[in-house]
Amino acid sequence: MKFHFSEEEQEIISMVEDYAIKEVGPRAQEIDEEERFPIEAREGLAEMGMMGVYFPEEYGGAGMSYLTYIGVAEKLAEYCATTSIMMMASESLCAWPIFQYGTEEQKQKFLAPLCSGEKLGAFALTEPSAGTDAAMQKTVAADKGDHWLINGSKIFITNAQYADIFVFFAMTDKEKGTKGISAFIVEKGTPGFEVSGHEKKMGIRGSSTSELIFNDCKIPKENLLGELGKGFKIAMTTLDGGRVGVAAQAVGIAQGAINDALAYVKERVQFGKPIWKFQNTQFQLADMQAKVDAARLLLYRAAQAKQDGEPYSHLAAMAKLVCAETASDVTRRCVQLAGGYGYSRDYPFERHMRDAKITEIYEGTSEVQRMVISGWMGNK
Amino acid sequence: MGCKNVMVYVETAESKPVNVGLEMLTAAKEVAEKVTAVVIGAADAAATAIAYGADDAITVDAAEYNTEAYAAIVVELVKKYAPEMLFVGATPNGKDLGARVAAKLKAGCVTDVIGMKEADGKIVLTAPLYGGTIYSDVTVEGTVVAIIRGGAFKKAEEPDTAKEGTITAETVEIADLRAKIVNSVQEISESVNLEEAEIIVAGGRGVGSAENYELVKELASLLGGVVGATRPVIEEGWVSRAHQVGQSGKIVAPKLYIACGISGAAQHISGITGSDYIVAINKDEDAPIFEISNIGIVGNCVDALKIMIEEVKKMQA
Amino acid sequence: MEILVCIKQVPDDSVNIKMNPATNAPDLDIATPIVNAFDTYALEMATRLKEAIGDSTITVVSVGPDKAKDAIKTCLAVGASKGYVVKADATDTISTADALAKAVAKIEEAEGVKFDIIFCGKESTDCASGQVGTMLAEDLDVPVVTNLVDIEKIDAGISAKQETEEGYNIIEVAMPCVVTVTKPEYEPRYPTIKSKMAARKIPIGELEIGDVVAPAVTVVANAEPPKKAAGVKINEETLEESMAMALGMMRDAKVL
Repeated sequence: MKFHFSEEEQEIISMVEDYAIKEVGPRAQEIDEEERFPIEAREGLAEMGMMGVYFPEEYGGAGMSYLTYIGVAEKLAEYCATTSIMMMASESLCAWPIFQYGTEEQKQKFLAPLCSGEKLGAFALTEPSAGTDAAMQKTVAADKGDHWLINGSKIFITNAQYADIFVFFAMTDKEKGTKGISAFIVEKGTPGFEVSGHEKKMGIRGSSTSELIFNDCKIPKENLLGELGKGFKIAMTTLDGGRVGVAAQAVGIAQGAINDALAYVKERVQFGKPIWKFQNTQFQLADMQAKVDAARLLLYRAAQAKQDGEPYSHLAAMAKLVCAETASDVTRRCVQLAGGYGYSRDYPFERHMRDAKITEIYEGTSEVQRMVISGWMGNK
Repeated sequence: MGCKNVMVYVETAESKPVNVGLEMLTAAKEVAEKVTAVVIGAADAAATAIAYGADDAITVDAAEYNTEAYAAIVVELVKKYAPEMLFVGATPNGKDLGARVAAKLKAGCVTDVIGMKEADGKIVLTAPLYGGTIYSDVTVEGTVVAIIRGGAFKKAEEPDTAKEGTITAETVEIADLRAKIVNSVQEISESVNLEEAEIIVAGGRGVGSAENYELVKELASLLGGVVGATRPVIEEGWVSRAHQVGQSGKIVAPKLYIACGISGAAQHISGITGSDYIVAINKDEDAPIFEISNIGIVGNCVDALKIMIEEVKKMQA
Repeated sequence: MEILVCIKQVPDDSVNIKMNPATNAPDLDIATPIVNAFDTYALEMATRLKEAIGDSTITVVSVGPDKAKDAIKTCLAVGASKGYVVKADATDTISTADALAKAVAKIEEAEGVKFDIIFCGKESTDCASGQVGTMLAEDLDVPVVTNLVDIEKIDAGISAKQETEEGYNIIEVAMPCVVTVTKPEYEPRYPTIKSKMAARKIPIGELEIGDVVAPAVTVVANAEPPKKAAGVKINEETLEESMAMALGMMRDAKVL
């Protein structure tokens, strides 16, 4: 068992940190305040090869380990949670299922441009009445012989307004329940497919979150992803990976909050000394750092298991549950440490707290994680 | 006296000595028995140099400034007159010239000298390191080329026009120049005299926008002062780089320096510590600029500028 | 074309260096070693020139300790394809320039090449003396153009855009030559995962150059600048009240 990145992995993580310090961190407040998509980072990360970190070079990826990707996601989130999810929604949730379940043609056509960052990806499962109960899909794909005809809508879709390639799910056989769900790929600009609106959110406000509307949308037969009726499994395995990513995001957000808090308490003088000199401040931060490191180890365990091809659904669920709740707790305590300034939007603390909350919700709420974990325990 | 003979290269602009050229004469007089000024391509400036403290002066006729040519001239003069130290002002051209002369003479060279003293019969020069966060004292073996920062020394308050000194005209043959200036373009037409300004109103990134920066300009103009700026402001393009104050811009020493929305990076602070009175406005009450300010106002600098502009208008009415 | 870029590893200049009371020396441990910013501009300019004219090689060289290899490695991921570190007892500008000049001869001999252009940053952010490029040119007996913001290859050599106080000069000079670079309009590129991985495989040469000229400048003492005593900080209920108080004090001090 080892608890550190290899030298090679560390170099890539340091490289993205250098980029984040110079280009991502300084824009984090602005993209939050203006609810602006991080377009500069979307381009910058693409140029660096960060949009396809762990995919093989034959598909335009960088051929690095999955752990490197997780390290990169964590580092980005430390400086800007919005930027990290922009990368992950494309990489974990769109590129990965195409890599895992796609045909060679689909990989050449869709995976390669996603890895190079020329195109951005998105993942669409959630519907107004199919959230945690994902089996309640109302979007329908009808087999019309030479094409699929799609009708329905999806909500809360990350990257939607800026994505070029969407992996989405639809009912191909209503009688079969979850076994009647199939996965598809649709490209931006397909007639009958529309991206609508911008969800105003509590946190990760620069992230593009919108509704997808399919209105007699024809997509080619070859855009079925994986086998017919295997969509639910594809969605669930994709989300397993997504959860490791969100856990990384949560750890990053928490670490970013601690870093900001530490710098702040060393500067801030009250009662004639920096508040860092008070033991409450020291103990608060010590507690937080210990918790974040504990969560981080769960994250790396899950990532390592995924990388090694071992069963990891329960490990991903545990990592996400603990990392997300740690992030919420730590960011809330950092607001408290900074007092009035913690509550001020001129300081980053309240943003970290708002950003942290989403990690308890998307890619399966904390309650869903508990379901997965207890399900695994019951089956032991 | 720490040394017998100091040669001071007095840079000129439009045939008049630049400030640092005259300031160096004060510094030279403190350490040397004899101070010789050198002026190139501006013979009239020799008398001014003597009035400001040089014992005598050498003039050399030459075309417009060119580092290669001017360095060749100074090198010949140093060889002929053998001063123990050569002073050059730390202007952009002066830095080039000083380094080139030192290279030719294989002399020890110190850039941005801000202080000078004698210890154990040696001249000790002080120069900033690490963006002005450390001051380093150095000594030099052999001939010294000291590139002296503007504002570090004060020029004589009143020139002594009655003072006499020998002015010698020298001729130096210049070999063919290897680097040819084929075009010289003036992009910045405004004349910005930060070094001699008595009042400077400067803005930093905290001013927020080019539009808000107009308030900085308005206050400066109301007070009869000059507009200053930090490096980020120049990079944003709110004003031309002629306004830059700090380590990589101009070193200033006004009677009043008003810093608006400037947090106080070391690179900026090292350029303004010579100011007599610093007023800083910043929304961050822990901003480092407050540590060197006579008055620190915690608040929004744009609103503060508006209030100050109104008040100054009332005072002047 | 053969291009050499001289770089220096310096403490991160965004960190305020303080004296370490225990050693009575500047505490450089608090700042990460990085490539001098002006050297990164020089490398970027060299890389763009290489991309514009094609068929060129960029070599980087640094006089410094073993640790300077990290700085060279950084450069190998953003345009350079060969790197050397030079160990020398060089503590001032004259000795550093001498070490570089000797390194140039060694590299040219080892690689069987002649450098056409040698790029340097206009100054380092730690010492900011701005002398080494010029001194190196003198040692090599080649022309130098300082403070470049752009460069172009022309038949007669290079055409350099030199920043001046009021604007810029266009200067033409034959090769070989030395140029020093200031901040251009563009930023240095970031490495890519691929370039970073490729850089890992490039061995960094170590050069032994023997004795260099004795340094002429000796540091006798370092200190933090004398602190200017802070004055009053005003933070009244409203900005209007704060300003009224401040203006009153400025009037009393007769600065208004």
